[in-house]
Amino acid sequence: MMKRSLSVLATVGAAALLLAGCSGSSSPAADGPAEITFWHGYTEADGKVLDQIVADFNASQQKYKITTETKTWAVIDDTLLPALSSKEGPQIVAMPAERMPVYADRGAFTDLSDFYAASDSNTADLVPQAVDMVTVGGTPYGVPTGFVPLAMFYNKTLFASAGITEAPTTWDEWVADAKKLTVDENGDGTPEQYGVAIPDHATVANGLWPSLLLSGGGQIVDGDKAAIDSPENAKTIQYWTDAITKDKISPTGLDGIAADQLFSSGKAAMHVGGPWMASIAKDNNIDYGIAALPAGPAEQAASAIGVAMGVTESADDAQRAGAEAFFTYFFQKDVATKWSLASGWPPLRTDIPLSDVSSNPVVAALSEIAPTGRALLPGVVNSTDVISDIDELTQKAVAGGDVADLLSTAQSKIQQAIE
Amino acid sequence: MTTHAPSAPPRRRGAYRPPAPIGGRGPLRHSPRHRLTVVAFLAPAIVILTVFVAWPMVSALRLSFTDASGFGREKFVGLENYARVFTDPDIVSAMGNTALYAVLFTPIAIALALGFALLLNNPLLPLRGVFRTALFTPFIVSLAVAAFAWSYLLDPQIGLLNYWLRGLGIQLGNVLQDPTLAMPAVVLVAVWKSFGFYMVIFLAGLQDIPTSLYEAARVDGASAWQRFRSITFPMLGNTMGFVVIVALIAALQAFDQIYVMTGGGPYGTTQTIVMEIYQSGFRKLELGFASALSYVLLLITLVLSLTQFLFFSRREKDAA
Amino acid sequence: MTALAPAPAASASAIPVRRRLPQARRRRLVSASLLVVVAASTLVLMLPILIIVFTAFKPVAEVNAYPPTLLPGQWTLDNFTRIFTELPFARLIANSFVFAGGVTLFALVFDSLAAYALARLDFRGNKILLIAIIASLMIPFQATLIPIYQLVSDLGWVNSYAGLIAPRAADAFGIFFLRQFFLSLPRDLDNAARIDGASELRIFRSIVLPNAVPALLTLGIFTFVNNWNDLLWPLVFTTDSEMGTVTSGLTLLTGPGGIIPQGVMMAGSLIAVLPLAILFLLIQRRFVESVGTSGLK
Repeated sequence: MMKRSLSVLATVGAAALLLAGCSGSSSPAADGPAEITFWHGYTEADGKVLDQIVADFNASQQKYKITTETKTWAVIDDTLLPALSSKEGPQIVAMPAERMPVYADRGAFTDLSDFYAASDSNTADLVPQAVDMVTVGGTPYGVPTGFVPLAMFYNKTLFASAGITEAPTTWDEWVADAKKLTVDENGDGTPEQYGVAIPDHATVANGLWPSLLLSGGGQIVDGDKAAIDSPENAKTIQYWTDAITKDKISPTGLDGIAADQLFSSGKAAMHVGGPWMASIAKDNNIDYGIAALPAGPAEQAASAIGVAMGVTESADDAQRAGAEAFFTYFFQKDVATKWSLASGWPPLRTDIPLSDVSSNPVVAALSEIAPTGRALLPGVVNSTDVISDIDELTQKAVAGGDVADLLSTAQSKIQQAIE
Repeated sequence: MTTHAPSAPPRRRGAYRPPAPIGGRGPLRHSPRHRLTVVAFLAPAIVILTVFVAWPMVSALRLSFTDASGFGREKFVGLENYARVFTDPDIVSAMGNTALYAVLFTPIAIALALGFALLLNNPLLPLRGVFRTALFTPFIVSLAVAAFAWSYLLDPQIGLLNYWLRGLGIQLGNVLQDPTLAMPAVVLVAVWKSFGFYMVIFLAGLQDIPTSLYEAARVDGASAWQRFRSITFPMLGNTMGFVVIVALIAALQAFDQIYVMTGGGPYGTTQTIVMEIYQSGFRKLELGFASALSYVLLLITLVLSLTQFLFFSRREKDAA
Repeated sequence: MTALAPAPAASASAIPVRRRLPQARRRRLVSASLLVVVAASTLVLMLPILIIVFTAFKPVAEVNAYPPTLLPGQWTLDNFTRIFTELPFARLIANSFVFAGGVTLFALVFDSLAAYALARLDFRGNKILLIAIIASLMIPFQATLIPIYQLVSDLGWVNSYAGLIAPRAADAFGIFFLRQFFLSLPRDLDNAARIDGASELRIFRSIVLPNAVPALLTLGIFTFVNNWNDLLWPLVFTTDSEMGTVTSGLTLLTGPGGIIPQGVMMAGSLIAVLPLAILFLLIQRRFVESVGTSGLK
């Protein structure tokens, strides 16, 4: 019995070794076009359009050939480091914009100043705040692939039943409308329907509270100093904490994803989200509207969701030239318009008129509110810690903490993080 | 699995010959043939472990004295990373959380595993095979999927558990965002997933205990508790020692379900050391610091395990 | 603690008849109460598994519905079809088998050889080697991941089965586990064989291993399951999405905005668990057999 088991083991072991010789990757061609790998996280229909744009680029010239690899953004973040460290990485990679500075600071991305300076690179008319996103210490390390401010999505059906005809345009209107839309029919203290879904941590693109703080006239970081502890921010946080806890216009303890779900299940009438909410709302049969975030006492600002791509340090000169050629192609007016319509995000060039994107109503609506967009923590290398410090601040405040104490703790923590 | 009942008398045929020492007598012990045998047995595993475990560990040690990120430039920084491990308040807090986690996880998982093993070892229980399979199932689910299923069960809005408990008058609220409940919740998920495996190990150990010992104790009038204390528990010494070390090491390295369920929150109350290592290395690209932290964890685990090991070896010697 | 061992049948004849009846009833009572306790606690512990199973068959609307239900009101295979269309799932399952299976085979062989040496062979450095092996268990994988990756890539094995399997082909846990087990086996038989001049390999193959079948099965299951469920290593190591495993593939399942389609995720998890469950059911019978033939029961 033992002998038979051993021989079985041996056979299978040999088979395994044989299989081990089979690998999944193909070796690159020796001559011919320079091969470039491009990782991106566009996993939905927009990913297919991006892949098509890449294919079109490949077809339009003979010198470079780009192959795309689609993974989720989180997976890219987990796998880029090991890949780069053993020179197996992609030459072009796209990632959420706030992740770029830390990679750039460590030397993962090549300096693109010359590219931007070149007159034929199609970069002259890019949205300036979008370029801010990819700039660290004054040097641009990438190009934007998407830049859209957070928008307010509202449930038109629920609005109609509460007798509200227009989306609110100021904070006071916003809270008033939310109160009308919060319904607790059985009086058990837990509303069945909330006026708005306001997450207090891990917000959509980590941008909700930065939007509120900016609209209230405050900042998070000013240059190389923490600026979160300010009277404006104290007022903003107190205002919203009161609205959530006293007026109960939103559940507490939500994160961005739970807020998305609350809106898409029809249990919250308003929600601050990204462009994807449009298709989710449609899938869930919600008659939705898009509006700009209501204006605060100081201004009407919305933190932007940004995605950017850059050339990694594993690219040789030929591959780098190819990447830059692709970027130039990507920012051609016609390609940029096509990308905007397909991705559902506003165009990245300021000289594309609204009429060109009117065929996609979501894009048109978002392009209208585009001027409210502000880059989130531009150039901050340790955005991971700063964002978690902001999360701690807002989460504890909504849970009932003392706003002044929390602000001064956040101030020192953020100061430490950006040093 | 065969065992010789210790109560069987040794066969005597004339003069008593003591059993030969392991590996042969006298000069045979250090013969080249013997050494070759040892090497042959150890070689495959040791080669793999050296290349893929020892060497990377050495690499990581070297990295711990630098500010490397894994690519690009790196600079020697001496003991700076190690100093930061003990002075950074986030790291100190993570150490406290990890200790709390270990203290909660280890005894509960082991008690549950041993309890069920004892129950399942009892021939008076019908359908033992069915229960054994059922109780082992949590183990074969991946920790991420388990965490996912538990998160869904504990969802404050649509979670089944919250809904049922609300019917009983218990308001769970948002468990994973509650600073006092989040840690027990992540411990619970790990206990749920792991106890099945420890249970199976205990079962194997229990079946090694000869029934004749229990027979003799019954005849002597020993109660169930006395039988457990004087037979079962001591004879499980080897097994128990093993399970305790393994459970402790697993607890000190808690990561998967925390990553999925709470991300270290709320306010870092479930942030463990390995979460910090992961975030430093992969999110903040501070591979040097992550390596230093890993080595501190290694030292702590080593000290704790050695203490356990010595404690249980001594008991083993006493029991034998 | 409840009753631990059965009263031996042999003594029944020695006990006067009038004592037998209460004993039989007592046994039935114990059986029944054991059954209730174990069944109830098992059911409670099975809840998350049941959730996975039932949610996999629920349509999207029901997954997010309030009030939540355990059983689907409407059974649907939607989630399962989506899993196969959104991911190259069949290929991923095959990869998982090769990865987990390959690692288990190699690990069982290499680990048992090394464990035998540590448990039975006398050599200088035995204890030190053991401590070194146990120590290697204590360093978290996240720390050595990058150096291992660099190593495997230098060998040219990126995105290959060889690279995926090799770092796991021997593991400290297995060696430690088997060493403890071998130690607990009595030495009389193998010492006798040694005196008779049998080689260590012979003793290992013919005496020690056959007695170690339950331990080998346990370790085999443990290794297979852990590698099948391993996330970080296959995820990081395979940059080619066709070479991933079922577990790493499931992480690619996110909808827009990071919302995870729970129904689809559960369906995928269910399919992922199925081979493991089947494997365990098969092995389990052998496990019970080997205990049964030992004459202990």
